Amino acid sequence: MTGPLRAAGPRGRALERDLSALLGAGAASCAPADLWAMSRDCWPRALLWTKAGVAPHPPDVVVWPASTDEVVRVVRFAAERGVAVVPFGAGSGVCGGVVPVKGGIALDLKRLSGPPCIDLPGRTVDVETGMNGQRLEELLSGAGATLGHFPSSIYCSTVGGWLAARSAGQLSSRYGKIEDMVLAIEAVDGTGEILRTQDVPAAGPDLLQLLLGSEGTLAIMTKARLRCWPSPAARWMRGLRFRSVQEGMAGLRALMRSGLRPAVARLYDPLDTLLAVRSGGDAHARVPEPLRWVVEGAGGEALRLALRAPTLLNRLVESLPGASLLILGFEGDGSCASADAREEGELALRLLAPEGADDLGPAPGEKWLANRYKISYRQSPLFSAGAFADTMEVATTWDRLDALHAAVRGAVSPHAFVMAHFSHAYLEGCSIYFTFLGLAEGDTSGDPDELEEAEGRYDACWKAALSAACDAGATLSHHHGIGLHKQVFLPREHGEGMRQLRALKRAFDPRGILNPGKLLL
Amino acid sequence: MNGLRDDLSATGSAVVAEGEGLRVTPPSAVALGKAVAVLRAHLLPVRVRGNGDAPVEAPAGGALLELTALDRIAAVDGPTGIARVEAGCSVSALETAARRGGATLGPLVPSVRAGSVGAWLGGPTRGERGIPGSRRETAALSVSAVLADGRLAESRAAPRSATGPDLDHLALGGSGRLCVLAAAWVRLFPAAPPAYAAWRAPDLGAAVRMVDRLCRDRLAPVRGMLQAREGEALVALSWEGPEAARLWRGRAVRALGEPLAADAGPVVRAPASSRGIEVDARWDALAAFARHPGAAEIALYGMHAGGAFAVLSLASEGIEQCAAAARGPGLRVIAPRRLREAGPSWKEMGAGAAWDRLVAALGAVERR
Repeated sequence: MTGPLRAAGPRGRALERDLSALLGAGAASCAPADLWAMSRDCWPRALLWTKAGVAPHPPDVVVWPASTDEVVRVVRFAAERGVAVVPFGAGSGVCGGVVPVKGGIALDLKRLSGPPCIDLPGRTVDVETGMNGQRLEELLSGAGATLGHFPSSIYCSTVGGWLAARSAGQLSSRYGKIEDMVLAIEAVDGTGEILRTQDVPAAGPDLLQLLLGSEGTLAIMTKARLRCWPSPAARWMRGLRFRSVQEGMAGLRALMRSGLRPAVARLYDPLDTLLAVRSGGDAHARVPEPLRWVVEGAGGEALRLALRAPTLLNRLVESLPGASLLILGFEGDGSCASADAREEGELALRLLAPEGADDLGPAPGEKWLANRYKISYRQSPLFSAGAFADTMEVATTWDRLDALHAAVRGAVSPHAFVMAHFSHAYLEGCSIYFTFLGLAEGDTSGDPDELEEAEGRYDACWKAALSAACDAGATLSHHHGIGLHKQVFLPREHGEGMRQLRALKRAFDPRGILNPGKLLL
Repeated sequence: MNGLRDDLSATGSAVVAEGEGLRVTPPSAVALGKAVAVLRAHLLPVRVRGNGDAPVEAPAGGALLELTALDRIAAVDGPTGIARVEAGCSVSALETAARRGGATLGPLVPSVRAGSVGAWLGGPTRGERGIPGSRRETAALSVSAVLADGRLAESRAAPRSATGPDLDHLALGGSGRLCVLAAAWVRLFPAAPPAYAAWRAPDLGAAVRMVDRLCRDRLAPVRGMLQAREGEALVALSWEGPEAARLWRGRAVRALGEPLAADAGPVVRAPASSRGIEVDARWDALAAFARHPGAAEIALYGMHAGGAFAVLSLASEGIEQCAAAARGPGLRVIAPRRLREAGPSWKEMGAGAAWDRLVAALGAVERR
């Protein structure tokens, strides 16, 4: 892996010198390893670059500010010189949102991670945005509190990244998405002004909601006040089986419309159900080859062979028994935590029985809870095996959900093996989390033609998926954001709203230095 | 002016003289867009009625955009919990239609209930209401907004999204300044019988603290009525949710103790005092009002862990005195309109220059 590690150019060295003078020695670097680390995030297409040994868009310099004041100084420095500034959290994004397509300054915010101020009686925590998610949750836990925000990236993501991309955690049906948890932020706009939204009733358009999700294009968020809650003292977990995914959707809707607040509500389509209960046994014995190779996690040639015929694989899925698994969980806190969680769970079981749910007992839910972060770390072995794996999270209202599921499955089938689960449920609708598994074909290491072909397959799959989602009336992203990856579809989502988006850019970043080339800005 | 009238009439809008200006009533969102474009071309003062602001007359030499003809309810989908409605439709008409579909908007402050959907979403509450879990969110699932040049921006109707900033918030709470809210998909709750309970409290301040505690424990009621009585106070609350209302009530009883035997329903359902002011307030600010010697009643809506919308009233004094007694940190008067407080502005948040640039970039619909 020596390809991406190129030496910095004269522009980078000059920026390193000037920014070190501005912030102090050690605050800036143009060492090749630093530039490479900030040249990408966990976008699967960027993994193809890495596998091929290329880094097409390195920054010129990396800077580590340690305070809001230092962020202001860097932004003003950059604004005077017209240099791009790309804020960087922990690089866990999956859409290329931090790829510095115009070079410039990668602003790594991890030093903004001082101790949080936790006010559990007031249900708030004040935190700097470079704080690692898992670290924050550990600190909160020490104070008997939780944010309730558990994205699968929690070990390698920051509060700032969550806010910038409107993140969602696995317990969102109880705690909400990050935009439901944030009460106020401090941010630095593209002119170097410090913006401080306030946690008090205010008038006019909500400044906070206009900055959240802006992916570093409007302002760099430096601090946040978030809602926190007492740590749950008990959990009640369950698995339920529906005869079909449609029955499962109806059950999930009935559950959310009932007023109950499950912490976990995840419905898996038949194939994802097989993967979720990967313990094998009789269920897997009925799965025809080559589908079984994929379900059982085959690698190497067997996986590549299976993925050469994605349409066949997807048709084989349709021949499976239609069972659909719902993982359900409730939490309780306080002195009656166990009884409360059980009471809500049993009420949910009574509610779901008429919808056709079979109670599988606590084991599937507890298994999911124990393994819930592991799926995120299975991607690299798949890439090594010559496949690509990616996920697409779209959302819509209940009335359109089944059609959305069918449309995306149909569109992606010729390109990749596709499965889905339904998570992040609300009163009015739900997100669908599709997983694509496709063939990256051959060995991309160091061969530009192979890389181009792999990128072509990847892009074709995504184009089909996003087109189908748009046509079905879904939003393009529920919680991963847009980044480089989805931005060409943004006008289909926003229409004339793109004019509003561009107006926001002119308002907050008139010189266009903040993360240029993202959100089509 | 005649050329202007002709141009406006050509949009399909009804145009009548009003005071020293014109009142323009478009019959559709498309006609509204065309009318906005015409008015922009003539660079006239414009006000919008039905977007959170309610000017009585057209501005001198300008036009009042009247949204009352945009009153259609295109769809009510009770099972999904959504309704498609135009901005000029009254909130009460939407509630009636929602009820027919087995759904409801939930409890709303009186000024919202008496106004239009556009006024609700574009006004000082931004369409926010309480949702299960002691949280608050806007009722607008998506909005159709006419931009200053007459184009129509329509957001996707999804429960949440991550496709950049939430552009709906240029319309929500914006009082028609940056764009005119023409229609929306609105979120509905399932209609179900509420569960009620009432308790005695030592005084009105303690009553506020009892509700505050429930909200911090994620047991937020949907509606509350706190009343000062002889030497004590009454706390009457209700919860909704087809399956969950009784559950939350039971837990509130566990937290606050055995409730009064009397049916709390009539107290909770009773209209708030007509001599009250409507506020958006934090719990501390409501507790501070409750300590005022003349404080008589606090009707609660949109409760969440941080505070609530409320109608506050004094026992024997009028609205102005009530507002004077209530004003303080963490509280903002939202009705009546003449007493409405802006709260912290973008300027106070450090974004004054950004606001000016935004207005310049978008063009303001309202020109005064």
